[in-house]
Amino acid sequence: MSTTWLPCGDYHQSYREDHAWFQTRFIKGKMILLGLVLFIFIPLMGETYSLSVCNQIGYTVLGALGVQLLIGFCGQVTLGHAAFIAVGAYTSTLLILEFPWPQFILDIGLAYPISIFIAAVTAGLWSVLFGLPSARVKGFYLILTTMAAQFITVEFIITQYVSQIGGRGQAFSLPPGTIKIGPWVIDSDLKVYYMMIVLTSLCIIGLANLLRSRAGRAWVAIRDNDISAEVMGINVIKYKLLAFFVAGFIGGVAGAFWISNLAAISPEHFQWFWSLWLVGVILIGGVGSIHGAVFGSIFMVVVMELLQLAVIPLADEYPKLLMDFLFVKEAAFGLAICVFMIFEPYGLAYRWWQVKNYFNLWPFSYR
Amino acid sequence: MELLLMALTTGIMVGGIYALVALGWVLIYKCSGVLNLAMGELTLIGAYVSLSFYSMGIPFLLSLLFSLIIGLVLGILTERIFLDRLIGEPVLTVIMVTVGLSFFFKGTVEFIWGVDTRTFDPPVFSMEPMRIGPLIIGKVYLWSFLAALILLVAFVSFFKYTRWGLAMQATADDEMAALSLGVSARFVYAAAWAIAFMAAGVGGTLLGNINGLNISVGYLGLLVLPAVVLGGLNSVPGAIVGGVIIGVLENLSGAYLDKYFPGGIKEIAPFVFMTVFLLFKPYGLWGWERIERV
Repeated sequence: MSTTWLPCGDYHQSYREDHAWFQTRFIKGKMILLGLVLFIFIPLMGETYSLSVCNQIGYTVLGALGVQLLIGFCGQVTLGHAAFIAVGAYTSTLLILEFPWPQFILDIGLAYPISIFIAAVTAGLWSVLFGLPSARVKGFYLILTTMAAQFITVEFIITQYVSQIGGRGQAFSLPPGTIKIGPWVIDSDLKVYYMMIVLTSLCIIGLANLLRSRAGRAWVAIRDNDISAEVMGINVIKYKLLAFFVAGFIGGVAGAFWISNLAAISPEHFQWFWSLWLVGVILIGGVGSIHGAVFGSIFMVVVMELLQLAVIPLADEYPKLLMDFLFVKEAAFGLAICVFMIFEPYGLAYRWWQVKNYFNLWPFSYR
Repeated sequence: MELLLMALTTGIMVGGIYALVALGWVLIYKCSGVLNLAMGELTLIGAYVSLSFYSMGIPFLLSLLFSLIIGLVLGILTERIFLDRLIGEPVLTVIMVTVGLSFFFKGTVEFIWGVDTRTFDPPVFSMEPMRIGPLIIGKVYLWSFLAALILLVAFVSFFKYTRWGLAMQATADDEMAALSLGVSARFVYAAAWAIAFMAAGVGGTLLGNINGLNISVGYLGLLVLPAVVLGGLNSVPGAIVGGVIIGVLENLSGAYLDKYFPGGIKEIAPFVFMTVFLLFKPYGLWGWERIERV
């Protein structure tokens, strides 16, 4: 689905053009416009509420990218991605709270960026550990082992042991001012937004580049048929583990980023629900494309916010609805997945592709 | 020694309940090939329905019967509305629909009944523990085990000796051949879901009698997954044995490993065991080995 439709009679004349990031001028202009909107327009226009919604979307995108890589590009279904996000978040938090940083690093505000990187690598390695069974099992069995990863990591190791470090009880809270990048203390939604948009863009560009490299083509080959991939000389296990590493890495970035937006980090933020939520996001957005993850995140977050707004006027008559909104949200999410799977199995990205195609050939389609 | 015996007997008895729920799971998988991740929520629904009837003052057995009937209706509805359209779709799609269903059910249950722990009041089984030789067993466990055993026998004989049961077996074995012999596959799918709902409902009611009923009973229902993996996904005896083994394993690790890993080792042990087991024997004890060709 990623092919670009060129105007009739217009062909690439070199491999360079064929591999170019921006295949036509129009696309280049479009992306620059998108960048302008994301980096300048939204921060200028957005109020606190809409920026916080954007931050949620960004967090969901970062989480969903890893799931998209594993499910959509490598065919390794994972239902435990929240575990790796949790590993990232906890590593970063613990590094900030407990690690004896030299004073000059604290002064120039490098502690948090370094902790993000270490957290991402740790989450990646943790993910590889639970990706090891993929060497032996696949399909439903792999789903079960990733589920086990979730329960072992979050419900057991983090809840029972990691949370005890420092004797703070169940939740870690970061004192204000510790989350600092360079001279900026991340304390407002606007600053979180900038951090989010930079990290998300970096991850998306990085992943998109990986996908058009040897590794990406190997992943797609494994997804399509792992036996033929092996026959073609791809080291299946190596590339599967690489996929787990990259997915865990992005998940770690997501977790380490999200601690800047959370008042207190506790295992409740990384329940199994969140893993399934991320899978639902990519299914609704469309499996097997990066913009699927983005569309799904936007759709789910916005729809849930709208649902909340819709419930508020009803609250006078049915106060239970608002009180138990979490459960309404859960039920609505479940129903949304079912409906999408039944009526729109290719997700929103497919519709987007259709719309794009229609306008590519508009007004004279070939048909 | 006594600790070992205690853990073993409790494990076997709880395992009987897991076996019952696992049977429902295997049935759905065998008949329609659906890998159902909503089993925990099915146990929740059955348990809450029978609890509601019971707290209205209806005798326990009667309320269990009512919950069976509601489970039957819900099972058929679920199959007809959601899963009937998905026959032949990719595995991930079907799995995710069951995940969606599990959220839907869980959200609904939480919305209707709340998240506080509820108990069967007055207690159905007397709290007085029973002594058999050196063993002390709660009556709840004993009765639950007996009930699970009776139902297991009932289900298994249903498959072996009744017309409908034989039709279901035939569909599970070879759908095409069964269709050509006049078995209605759609009926079989609906029946499988209805039976799974009923089995899970009974299992949930029994589990709710042991420790009170809240959302975490749904987590216990999730333990069927290690159980069926252990037994092999499409084997009915495997499900029963797997359920019992998981029950025993859970209680043994609770008794012995809790010293070294304080906290939730009891809940985690089945999943750890499953992960390790999968590395060595991915098709379980009695599951069919699938040979893959390009």
